[in-house]
Amino acid sequence: MSTTSQKHRDFVAEPMGDKSVTALSGIGETLGRKLEDQGFDKAYTVLGQFLLLRKDTELFVEWLKDATGANTRQATSCAQCMKEWCDAFL
Amino acid sequence: MPLSEHPASLSKSRLKSDLVAHGVTLPPAKSKKEVYVKLHLKHVDQKTSAGLSGDEEEENPEEAEMPDVTALTDDDLKATLHKYGFKAGPIVASTRAVHEKKLRRLLQSDRQVRFSGAEKEVLYSDRKEEEENGQDDDDDADSGMASNALDFFFFLPSSEPMKGTFKDIIPDTEAIQRRTYATCRKPIKGTAGRPVQRAYADTPASPTTIGRREVERRLVPIHIQILVFFIVACLFYLINVCVEDNSLSPLVALLDSLTQGVDSDERALIQSNTQDTPVLSRQV
Repeated sequence: MSTTSQKHRDFVAEPMGDKSVTALSGIGETLGRKLEDQGFDKAYTVLGQFLLLRKDTELFVEWLKDATGANTRQATSCAQCMKEWCDAFL
Repeated sequence: MPLSEHPASLSKSRLKSDLVAHGVTLPPAKSKKEVYVKLHLKHVDQKTSAGLSGDEEEENPEEAEMPDVTALTDDDLKATLHKYGFKAGPIVASTRAVHEKKLRRLLQSDRQVRFSGAEKEVLYSDRKEEEENGQDDDDDADSGMASNALDFFFFLPSSEPMKGTFKDIIPDTEAIQRRTYATCRKPIKGTAGRPVQRAYADTPASPTTIGRREVERRLVPIHIQILVFFIVACLFYLINVCVEDNSLSPLVALLDSLTQGVDSDERALIQSNTQDTPVLSRQV
């Protein structure tokens, strides 16, 4: 995790408010749509899932891969994003 | 476990824990006591009467535990995860699948540990260590070459020579190891005689794993780190000693002047012979 994307930095920089799930780093349009189909339409719902998994990045990555078919890089990026957001704002 | 007791005379919770201890998957939480008694008779008592003491547990879990993870209730799933040293969060509809997967992986790794001959029931971290050692042993035995062992040492940080140090000095690395090995846990059966790098061979090298490996590789030469630490410590000690030597003479002078001051006051009371000699000797 030496470099982070612009999307990651943008997300971690401020409270997530009402942001859409696609604002998460690693979640593009395709994955975003799949998440929305499962009811995860806002970033905070994904945060809820992350918290239910006790902020366990490994489990969260597993879940995201299972739920959306994300690859490891995307899922890890999203998990990292969540984790850093939690560290900053929780 | 007392052999004489009939399972029907045991309490339901006792039956439950016995079953869990013998690696039998529990029936749904609301099932009646008879179900437990039947299971107990079938799995637990059979084995004890057969006279198998230690070996029984090696075979049972793979048959009974493995396929039935999905049949556990949420509570049982949580309890079983806890038994394997994983602190699970709330198990609800959206998190259940992930937890099942996790438990399956834990069971699998636990089985490997038992196959490798480690019967320790101590700690989660210990099991992980044992598992890796099991792999190392295989490799060493197959190759019989010292160079191979050396290679291994650098690829897998927690190989045998490091075991004690790792556990004792940096307990945090356990977390890193756990994460890494969770992704590449494969049966070790088919790996006999393979080259060294097969430990990571079948995992795609994503940036994360590369990063983790890098962290691990940096952690490898822990004894070198210790060595450097001692060298630096010795250096500081030597410097300290030198500084003290230099500052010793002014210190002594100060002390002497102090005693002199006190002495001059007391000279009237105590006879001055004893004080004169050091003063004189210093002047000379």
